Amino acid sequence: MIEGVNARMIRGMDTRYLEQLVDDRPADGVFRVHADVYASSELFELEQKHVFERTWIFLGLESQLPRPNDYLVTWIGRLPVLVTHAADGVRRAFLNVCRHKGTLLCRLESGNSRFHVCPYHGWAYDATGRAVDIKDQASGGYAEAFSGDDHNLVPLGAFAAYKGLLFGSVSADVPPLEDFLGDLKFFLDLAMEQGPQGMEFVPGRIGFTYNGNWKAQLDNSSDAYHLTSTHVSFMEVQRRRADLVSGHQEARQFDWKKRFEQEGGAYTFRNGHNAIWLNQSESSKRPIFSQIAEVRDRVGELKAEWMLRLRNLTVFPSMQIADSTSLLIRTFRPVAVDRTEMRYYCLAPIGEAADVRAWRLRQFEDFFNVSGFATPDDTTMYEDMAVGLKASQIGFVQGYSRGIAVQVSGADALARAAGVAPVSSAHGMFDLQAETWGHALYREWARLMRTGAAGDPAWAHAVGGPR
Amino acid sequence: MIPSAHAVIATRVLQREAALLDERRWDEWIALFAADCEYWVPTWRTEAELTTDPQRELSHIYYASRAGLEDRLVRIRSGRSPATTPLRRTAHCVSNIELTGAGETHLEVRSTFANHVFDPHHRTQIVLFGWSEHRLEYGSAGWLIARRKIVLQNDQLPAMIDIYCL
Ligand code: FES
Ligand SMILES: [Fe+2]
Repeated sequence: MIEGVNARMIRGMDTRYLEQLVDDRPADGVFRVHADVYASSELFELEQKHVFERTWIFLGLESQLPRPNDYLVTWIGRLPVLVTHAADGVRRAFLNVCRHKGTLLCRLESGNSRFHVCPYHGWAYDATGRAVDIKDQASGGYAEAFSGDDHNLVPLGAFAAYKGLLFGSVSADVPPLEDFLGDLKFFLDLAMEQGPQGMEFVPGRIGFTYNGNWKAQLDNSSDAYHLTSTHVSFMEVQRRRADLVSGHQEARQFDWKKRFEQEGGAYTFRNGHNAIWLNQSESSKRPIFSQIAEVRDRVGELKAEWMLRLRNLTVFPSMQIADSTSLLIRTFRPVAVDRTEMRYYCLAPIGEAADVRAWRLRQFEDFFNVSGFATPDDTTMYEDMAVGLKASQIGFVQGYSRGIAVQVSGADALARAAGVAPVSSAHGMFDLQAETWGHALYREWARLMRTGAAGDPAWAHAVGGPR
Repeated sequence: MIPSAHAVIATRVLQREAALLDERRWDEWIALFAADCEYWVPTWRTEAELTTDPQRELSHIYYASRAGLEDRLVRIRSGRSPATTPLRRTAHCVSNIELTGAGETHLEVRSTFANHVFDPHHRTQIVLFGWSEHRLEYGSAGWLIARRKIVLQNDQLPAMIDIYCL
């Protein structure tokens, strides 16, 4: 247990306490995270400021706003965000908050509108964020000082796109987006370059809320270790579909038994990101396989081969791409220390053939939906973790230990061949099920929390100056 | 004019479906469905619009045959799914049963549901509500469900939903 942990110290933003929460001693082969990290409501409040408001957060896809005046509404932590596409062709992102009295401005999740009129007193903004009408301003008896005020929507500190993925940051003190993503870009490309005309979200809203900490989801996407215990009933269903040729054949997948004989690994990257991969013996059972010749011609042999591997990646802190049974983008939004809102998006090539699209959908629904066969077993574990982790007495959890002794610093041969430079690589057979991916997440978490508490800037080389 | 006998049949099938789920009489429940039945829970596309094409848009659940429902029972009975153990207890309330079409051997039925779901593990409860559209067909096995479409009105879901919550 950590000595001297108490709420007063946390409120005092004691950096010593924050430093002790992640026990990171590479020379000793130790990486441990304290139970409080997932369960303390004081830490949760600090995370909102120090983590979510000081780094890049995924907001959506460019292809969600194809036309002028399209908009979408999303969140950065607890802050409402509006992304617009103005007639000048530029996409912009703002706090989705009216300047008059702070009411939420856009109330629908998406739409197309030249103007955004606040329903409360009717102030109107255009897609560039300019306040175009202060209702009845002339007769309003305003003092001179009012016209000197800035009435426009408050833009995010930073906003940029990479391969059709839109990211924003509340703070302007962030590095350029491509620097932030670093060599994880290779893995993002493997998802975003699957379609010759780009990628889109398939229509249909999947949202759910679980009673647990957001970091349970942060971890789970990279966690290969839980498959053979949490998902045994799913595997039983899959086995039955394959062996007995019974059950829901449209969602029949690769042979899970063979999966366990495959090589796989985990990479960590700078700035909190990670990726895991697993070879796949039955690549013909992946939605992209029927298009692989076109893909190979366009992106090259090496990337095409990587696209057929199973891959999960995390862009710290709240966006994940899973490419296993089909292609998923997942975002999560912490609402409270033990409450997290999830959005799942089915990502697919624009212009995909109808039969491939239908197959993709059945695979997605079967595995990823919260009304499907895998996700509910995960989320149930997150809820049970929230119950267990209230026991701060357990001290440090031990879930980031697998693979420490076999990981190498920097790239392994596979990463080198791809021209990718991770911080660390762990590589083995499936049953290695390395947990080293967690080191990236919690090093970054600790760094942002520590610098935030100390009042230091989060980033050395930022896009913009202080606002 | 729709003969009242049809209304009696529709009510009987729908109420039986609800009761069998509540009582976990899975084999009798699944026997209510035709082998080639369609079972569809569409997602919402926006706040106001439902998706309309399960081949092009995401569904919560889409099965083109009873086989998908059979998979669900394998999982429910496996005892090895944390989300399914212990099983939620349910009360399926079906009302507003209305015949919307009828022929010699088929009936179209619309009904409203409010399904109460209690999780004895976390001691939490939710209500899933919306409406169902059933197509019933008469054959050698009597009246069977040939199609059920379920419109879930509250679609910000909890950590799990399964076939027996619907
Ligand atoms: S709060 Fe928006 S116009 Fe008054
Ligand atoms: Fe899982």
